[in-house]
Amino acid sequence: MRVPSTVSVTENLNAPVGVAAVDYLRAVFGDSILYEQVTCDAIPTLWFAREDIQRALTLVREQPFAGKRFEMLLDLTAIDERVRVNRTGQPASEFTVVYHLMSFSGNGDLRLKVPLFDNDLHLPTATVLWPNANWYEREVWDMFGIRFDGHPNLYRLVLPPTWEGHALRKEHPARATEMDPFTLDDAQTDIQQEALKFKPEEWGMKRASEDSEFMFLNLGPNHPSVHGAFRIAVQLDGEILVDAVPDIGYHHRGAEKMGERQSWHTFIPYTDRIDYLGGVMNNLPYVMAVEKMAGIEVPERVKVIRVMLSEMFRICSHLLFYGTFAQDVGQLSPIFYMFVERERIFNIIESICGARMHPGWFRIGGVAQDLPQGWEQRVRELLDFMPARLDEYDSMVLNNGILKRRTQGVGAYTTQDAFDWGVTGAGLRATGYEWDMRKQRPYSGYENFEFDVPIAANGDCYDRCAVRVEEMRQSLRIIKQCVDNMPSGDYKSSHPLTTPPRKEKTMQDIETLINHFLSVSWGPVIPPNEVSMSIEATKGINSYYLISDGNTTSYRTRIRTPSFAHLQMIPTISRGFMVSDLIAIIASIDFVMADVDR
Amino acid sequence: MNWSLESAEIAAAPQRGGSEMDEFIRRNVMMVKLEDMVAWGRKNSIWPFNFGLSCCYVEMATAFTSRHDLARFGAEVIRGTPRQADMIVIAGTVFRKMAPVVKQLYDQLLEPKWVISMGSCANSGGMYDIYSVVQGVDKFLPVDVYVSGCPPRPEALLQGLLLLQESIGKQRRPLSWVINEQGIIQREENQVQRVIRGPERIAATELRSPDEV
Repeated sequence: MRVPSTVSVTENLNAPVGVAAVDYLRAVFGDSILYEQVTCDAIPTLWFAREDIQRALTLVREQPFAGKRFEMLLDLTAIDERVRVNRTGQPASEFTVVYHLMSFSGNGDLRLKVPLFDNDLHLPTATVLWPNANWYEREVWDMFGIRFDGHPNLYRLVLPPTWEGHALRKEHPARATEMDPFTLDDAQTDIQQEALKFKPEEWGMKRASEDSEFMFLNLGPNHPSVHGAFRIAVQLDGEILVDAVPDIGYHHRGAEKMGERQSWHTFIPYTDRIDYLGGVMNNLPYVMAVEKMAGIEVPERVKVIRVMLSEMFRICSHLLFYGTFAQDVGQLSPIFYMFVERERIFNIIESICGARMHPGWFRIGGVAQDLPQGWEQRVRELLDFMPARLDEYDSMVLNNGILKRRTQGVGAYTTQDAFDWGVTGAGLRATGYEWDMRKQRPYSGYENFEFDVPIAANGDCYDRCAVRVEEMRQSLRIIKQCVDNMPSGDYKSSHPLTTPPRKEKTMQDIETLINHFLSVSWGPVIPPNEVSMSIEATKGINSYYLISDGNTTSYRTRIRTPSFAHLQMIPTISRGFMVSDLIAIIASIDFVMADVDR
Repeated sequence: MNWSLESAEIAAAPQRGGSEMDEFIRRNVMMVKLEDMVAWGRKNSIWPFNFGLSCCYVEMATAFTSRHDLARFGAEVIRGTPRQADMIVIAGTVFRKMAPVVKQLYDQLLEPKWVISMGSCANSGGMYDIYSVVQGVDKFLPVDVYVSGCPPRPEALLQGLLLLQESIGKQRRPLSWVINEQGIIQREENQVQRVIRGPERIAATELRSPDEV
């Protein structure tokens, strides 16, 4: 391990590209900028009126700042501000639309906000600037009822087409038990099924071309090759795929609404189930975001424990991808081998965390408990058996001629395509662009580890797989450094907002006892602030945007997941291929529906 | 109608007082009622439908693979279409948008058919008391076995499968079309597992320390 560097995430976000962009926008818009907000994540945040936002976005998209561009619309979401108390200085607003832009070349972020009022909820679309704004805007329409003028097809994305109301508005019920009991008789089933029916005309598709009639194939929402509850309607000319319409929302568990009702502490298990193959790695951006608002510094030991477990889950997730990818292109055996390895890693994880898939083991300010005695030996066993197995899988899968022919040159896209569609993670690195949050914006002490960021050149299905395989080797390197250099010390911080609070500080006098009782029963009160925290998750950039209104629960929890963006790209990269290639493309994306619909 | 494995010496040894012919018959001929044999066959040849909703499906898939190997229990012929299957494991959260699809898939399963509800979400909604989630698949499907856990371990699913098999083994159905009632005869009531396993669970007094691996 190298000497810890002092670079922090905050400094990274205060990058020249962001500063230059703010200066430029100030010069162009002057007093038209409604407000410059300061948030604790140090991302420059500017408020624009609805009339100015499209021009501002266009300038940000097209201008270089300090020689760098904002390549990606990382996230687009909204906030229902109507019952928020702590908004000092911010322009009056009932619904705020938030654009989160990211510069990869300049390594900086920019956030633009637009205030809107309930009686006039509309603003211009950003789909003309970034194609990936399409789904984000549909989601905002679905969840908040905000219209985007000029959007090509503003149709509900997540909730069923028959739904009434917009779920993330504060007046919409959160609990199923607050609503009428669910029933499903045959008549209702027919109504719902009819509403879900794919109608090509709604998507601007023709039923026939000049010389042939198209076939429409409905794949999913239950199909072995769509990896969960995902549907894609395909327009075929013979065997050739003309166009496709992915349909999501079959796995919407309302995690963002849930965040508004669970305490800061009791939301942690819900994060596990976002990318359900990523286990505790999902806890990481959430707890780090809360820690940032609370001002908690965690001990070195906590950081290294978190890194070690996250990397184990990265291997588990990639192994599952590797096996199912091979299976989807016709190799049935590898997955049976890979699940053996996965099972062995789960045994280690279970002996440390007490659970297999969803340990929910990280805490605000630390982890749930210290590492058990004898953990080093078990982790070293993993380091011993794993490399040889990975080599064996190379010869079984990656070097297999049939697999190569099925996946090389299929579903390829360029780095620019990846930026346009919000693709991050292995999907971006496979195009030859070296970007890894752990390297570019080290968090949780990743700056202290030696590892490489594998990239590939062609950006096709095969490369996406090859990149992930190499990432497993790098994860093993990181885990080895964790075992060799595990710092001693506490497994949780001594900060008063650490949850659960430290027991030894409790039994001093009545004050300490009351404080303990409140932070266990009600949970900690996090100071009012806004924060966005991103990590390099198993599938790409996973980001939590939290707003605290000085309460025991979050005011707004926005979860930006990588799989959501990746699925939106499927039609673009699969046109002109055959259905069997579509299966390879879907498999190579490595998505989890819980990570798409949340 | 059951058989058990025995060691080669015991199995090969002639039983006292029997002739060679008796022994041959004992090993090769079995006398049962037809309805018992059909029940035995049904019990040991469940064809599950390849169906998953969320996290639980990953643990269900783990049960198919080498370490847990569902094939040991005669239920490994996973079918991709409901029309070839007779058992569905509701593995995961049942969403409002997905419920009509689940209902249709269930309706397409072959009779006689069974349902295992796997995991807290399918059992009761679990930790997702939220607008988009049906609070338990039994709101619109009849469930035979509930497997608890979030997600349940693969072993728990295997236990659920064994319970289902046991229950199927005790069912007697008409062998052909019959006049009047077509009813299923359940020979014994299915026992509540909490009652059966309660004493054993309460008997545990020393739990393993979480400080050791």
